[in-house]
Amino acid sequence: MERRVFLKKIVKLFFLLISLIIAPVILYIYPSKIKQKKLFYIYLTDEDNLPKSGLRKFDYKYNLADKTIAGYVFIKKDASELTAFSPLCTHLGCLVKWNNIQKEFICACHGGKYDINGDVIAGPPPKPLQRLPLEIKEGKVYIGIKLYGQDI
Amino acid sequence: MGKIFDWIDRRFEISAPHRRFLQRPVPPDLDYTYCFGGISFTYFLILVFSGLLLSLYYVPSENNAYKSVLMITNEVTLGWLIRGMHKWSATLFIIFIILHAVRVFISKAYRPPRELNWIVGAATFITAMASGFTGYLLPWDQKAYWATEVGTSMAGTIPFIGENIMYAIRGGAEVNGNTLVRFYSLHVLYLPLFMGLLLWFHFHMIKRQGISEKL
Repeated sequence: MERRVFLKKIVKLFFLLISLIIAPVILYIYPSKIKQKKLFYIYLTDEDNLPKSGLRKFDYKYNLADKTIAGYVFIKKDASELTAFSPLCTHLGCLVKWNNIQKEFICACHGGKYDINGDVIAGPPPKPLQRLPLEIKEGKVYIGIKLYGQDI
Repeated sequence: MGKIFDWIDRRFEISAPHRRFLQRPVPPDLDYTYCFGGISFTYFLILVFSGLLLSLYYVPSENNAYKSVLMITNEVTLGWLIRGMHKWSATLFIIFIILHAVRVFISKAYRPPRELNWIVGAATFITAMASGFTGYLLPWDQKAYWATEVGTSMAGTIPFIGENIMYAIRGGAEVNGNTLVRFYSLHVLYLPLFMGLLLWFHFHMIKRQGISEKL
């Protein structure tokens, strides 16, 4: 092979090798930890404890990364329909409380108010209260919550 | 060259003006010591490249700089490699600039008409050292902090205006978050741009004057 042709091929090979660096660069640029929420079903109560009609608050607990986390949800029974409301205010995430006299959910932080169907009636919240999925299996009620955890 | 390059070149016309430079005759019997300049430039390219990648994750703030460096090293995929490339290239960059300067000195390549190129080369070396000094602070650990504390206090020993120069470098009375932001800006914007300009001068003169013949 002529020397000049040989050198040209060597140079081309060299540039080809340099171009291979694109693979580790893509790996580097791609975020290494992508957190995604997964839906977990957490035991809430027995089916017998559910309200016959109206609204009731239920506490729940679960373990996440060696920590016990407590929370609560509201469950509304209406005709034969069950609805679970998350207590997180859709404005800035404070916990709302049910006021049984005014028949409203009230958020103490900025005065957001929701009616018994979770719809906004006053204050800054942009959306109605979030409804959570419910699952009833063998007389036990489970609430679906989205979490970052791997397993509970 | 390849089909794609030819297509671009017919429109961009970049190869013709460079042909005289790329295919010029060089003095006979050049040895590998004549490669030190090119090796330094290769390290500069690696530094620019790995630095651009590091800047995707580095946070130049008082509270998060150290954390982000730890994250690059331990969590980002191949982050340790990119950081290592940047660190070691920086060291080798300086070493090969010195070797290059020694070679130029020994072969008397600084003689007319190449005096200005020697001066530009010395400026490049100073810029490289300044980049090293400012980059050393960026991990924001104890070693970085105290090295900068000592380094900037040297400016304070200049008679009359020393204190003021020190304040200007530190952006305050002592090394703090302001210094970090200052050094970050110098390290990633001012110094590389200035270095690019200097290297252009350097290579332009090499192109015009050619490589000096061996003694």
